[in-house]
Amino acid sequence: MALLTLSRSSVGLPGRNLLLTLPALLLVVFFFLLPVAILLSRSVTEPTLGLHNYVELLGSPTYLKIFYNTFLVSSLVTIISLLIGFPVAWALAIMPRGLSSVVFAILLLSMWTNLLARTYAWMVLLQRTGVINKTLMGLGIIDQPLQLVNNLVGVTIGMTYIMVPFIVIPLHGVIRKIDPAILQAAALCGASRWQALRMVLIPLARPGIFSGALMVFVMSLGYFVTPALLGGTANMMLAELIAQFVQSLLNWGMGGAAALVLLSVTMALYILQVRLFGAKG
Amino acid sequence: MTHPFLEIRGIRKEYAMIPAVRDVSLNIRKGEFMTFLGPSGSGKSTTLFILAGFQDPTAGDILLEGKSLLSTPSQHRNIGMVFQRYTLFPHLTVAENIAFPLKVRRWPKARIEAKVAEMLRLVRLEGFETRKPATMSGGQQQRVALARALAYDPPVLLMDEPLSALDKRLREEIQVEIRRIHQQTGVTILYVTHDQEEALRMSDRIAVFSKGVIDQVGTGEELYANPATRFVAGFIGDSDFIDCELRGAAGGKAKVALKDGLEIGGIPLHGEGKPGARVALMLRPERTRIDPAGASGGAIPAVVTDITFLGSNVHVATETETGAPVSVRLPFGHPSISALARGQKVGLGFDPAEAHVFS
Amino acid sequence: MLLNFDSLGSWRWVLTIIVVMVAAFLLLPIVFIAALSFGSSQWLIFPPPGWTTKWYHDLFADPSWLKAAWTSLRIAVAVSFLSVLIGLVASFGLVRGSFPGRAFLRGLFITPMILPVVVLAVAIYAFFLRIGLNGTVAGFVIAHLVVALPFSILALTTALEEFDRSIEDAAVLCGASPFEAKLRITLPSISHGLFAAAIFSFLTSWDEVVLAIFMASPTLQTLPVKIWSTLRQDLTPVIAAASTLLICLTIILMLIAAAVKKGLKK
Repeated sequence: MALLTLSRSSVGLPGRNLLLTLPALLLVVFFFLLPVAILLSRSVTEPTLGLHNYVELLGSPTYLKIFYNTFLVSSLVTIISLLIGFPVAWALAIMPRGLSSVVFAILLLSMWTNLLARTYAWMVLLQRTGVINKTLMGLGIIDQPLQLVNNLVGVTIGMTYIMVPFIVIPLHGVIRKIDPAILQAAALCGASRWQALRMVLIPLARPGIFSGALMVFVMSLGYFVTPALLGGTANMMLAELIAQFVQSLLNWGMGGAAALVLLSVTMALYILQVRLFGAKG
Repeated sequence: MTHPFLEIRGIRKEYAMIPAVRDVSLNIRKGEFMTFLGPSGSGKSTTLFILAGFQDPTAGDILLEGKSLLSTPSQHRNIGMVFQRYTLFPHLTVAENIAFPLKVRRWPKARIEAKVAEMLRLVRLEGFETRKPATMSGGQQQRVALARALAYDPPVLLMDEPLSALDKRLREEIQVEIRRIHQQTGVTILYVTHDQEEALRMSDRIAVFSKGVIDQVGTGEELYANPATRFVAGFIGDSDFIDCELRGAAGGKAKVALKDGLEIGGIPLHGEGKPGARVALMLRPERTRIDPAGASGGAIPAVVTDITFLGSNVHVATETETGAPVSVRLPFGHPSISALARGQKVGLGFDPAEAHVFS
Repeated sequence: MLLNFDSLGSWRWVLTIIVVMVAAFLLLPIVFIAALSFGSSQWLIFPPPGWTTKWYHDLFADPSWLKAAWTSLRIAVAVSFLSVLIGLVASFGLVRGSFPGRAFLRGLFITPMILPVVVLAVAIYAFFLRIGLNGTVAGFVIAHLVVALPFSILALTTALEEFDRSIEDAAVLCGASPFEAKLRITLPSISHGLFAAAIFSFLTSWDEVVLAIFMASPTLQTLPVKIWSTLRQDLTPVIAAASTLLICLTIILMLIAAAVKKGLKK
């Protein structure tokens, strides 16, 4: 219908173009803004009007532990993903084409594979009788199987697995745009490889490093599936807490309050990202 | 001195069996401004990159004061280089860029500061210390690159077409700057360009590269007055070539016959040639004479095809009766000009000692 | 020199080893699952004591798996169709329009993508409780559309911005109606964007877990919900079989995408 409207005259009437965005706008307003607004408002209206939900959420050691878990895991995942993602992004930018396209295909395959399939694989790999414990014991590195699932170790491993491609792909783009002659200049200036890495390559890749890290951190904060399956009930993270408030406890007030906390941190970090690096990425 | 300051000895470089540099040997004197001149793909930049250590030669050696450089990685060669593209570190200020090579050499802070100030004075960019490269013009950036490359007093400075991204006026301005800095510092410069005017303007000596070899090395005057090959003759200065037949050669002088049977002798011959061989006669437009009255007494008959006013001189395009285009350059105000018109029959004359025959 | 693989010296090997190890890390779970789905051990012992296709038989014998897959497929197809359609219309408006607040609107349309899904899931769940959309196909489609639309809008605004509008104007000058020009000139020119929008929307819906968990009812669940609820009970190898089939689907989609990309270059 909208296209037909456009066909009669598309020039000179800005209102027509505004009208074209109407279906999308209706969807976003009614099924995104409105539900989220209702949820958040319930945090100050249920069970009674006031901020008591926030007082409870930010005052109780149980909940603070969950905030701590969330920040701990998100930070670890971000740092580990960066440490392994940077060399991979760098290598992909300079490796022979054939080799790098194979690695790229693997990255995409892992990224596009169903999230539950990937998480299931890690549940099996990391269990007490799983391959990783068996291999480590077979090599004589450990005597007893390590506890790798139902704790934050498992969550960190599983989430790092998911996040590495989100570091590698954008960072690879940033590194590929750096002129190799700048690094040649650094070498002729007398810089050793370490000095060139530390003083030139890493600073030049910094925008990619920062924005990738921020994105992974933000995504990790609100991650639900992997922590729920690999973390077990004793090591909850924020997203699980929100789900639990709503699903098991039917406590919409607390659920709304926890959602607002997660939302505020996410939006604040996202705005920081836009301020620092512009809207791209 | 038992050995040359910088010696390039039999360098060969192949990429996937295809030679980019075939066999380049050259001795460079200390303090010399040596230019590698040639078209793209002639091997001049590859030779420079081998000197910088970015590429290893397939064969040959590079010796600085008698010692081979090949086993030394780039960062320990202590060579300066200014690149074709702008290679200032974009995250560092001008002062930090110049300080970079000193910092990695772990100079004390005070010494670095003094040296940075000295280099900024040298390239006349005092006051630009805290600027970032992105806020500067291309010419300014290349001056900072020059300061950075000279900050650690390298014995040799490599310059790979550093001015090719600049417009003509700025290019000429910085050419003068580079000459001044060369004289002021006495550094040995190896300069790569494809621009003959730039080469002539700046160099002590020029090595003309063609298809992976050096055709000729010499001062600009030598190359212009006495080109060793047809390629050099065509690359340095303007030139026209007329096909003709070699009639005889003695004592380095050739006697040739043009297609219409006209014979001219006493022309310097370059290369071997048996009588009867096809050779090329080279004329310089600014040395060729034109007679508006027509061909007489050994002059080459030709027809004026075009006359172009180029400011200080006038370019007259002609075509000989055998179809070879020959141009003549006359200074503005030359009496012949008013007597010339398109389509007019003229006679072309030249001094055989100033012409060249290439086999 | 750090950006030239051949002149990295010993670092070249260090980098290569890291890349190979990370590639192995990324590939490990995928290969492992595929292997286990044919292993005979109920307890997922590796290496398996024997090989079997039993888990695939179990999978296809259980109608609830097929039903869930069918539900997922229907929803995903509906979502990609609507997402491309609404996204295309909106992108025309955003790219061609000059009304105030255009940048804001664009940002707004992208926001559901960056928001934690769990917040959206809880919010939509509560909202659908009131209007009775939980456990309905329409509910699933709407919820998935909210998270899929940003991908469409990103892909299509980019494609439209890259498209030189004067080509469309030229078609109109040649006598085509503005609508005809869009249909015959503009849409084929941005077909890569349309394709990307459709694929991303499809995958977003097909793989979506969190929204689906909240909205599913005992009688209507998508494939990810079925996997999720099975996983919560035990780690049966039937899930390995289902996962392997999903991995195959991913590979097929990647091959199609690669072929389309190649075809577009020609």
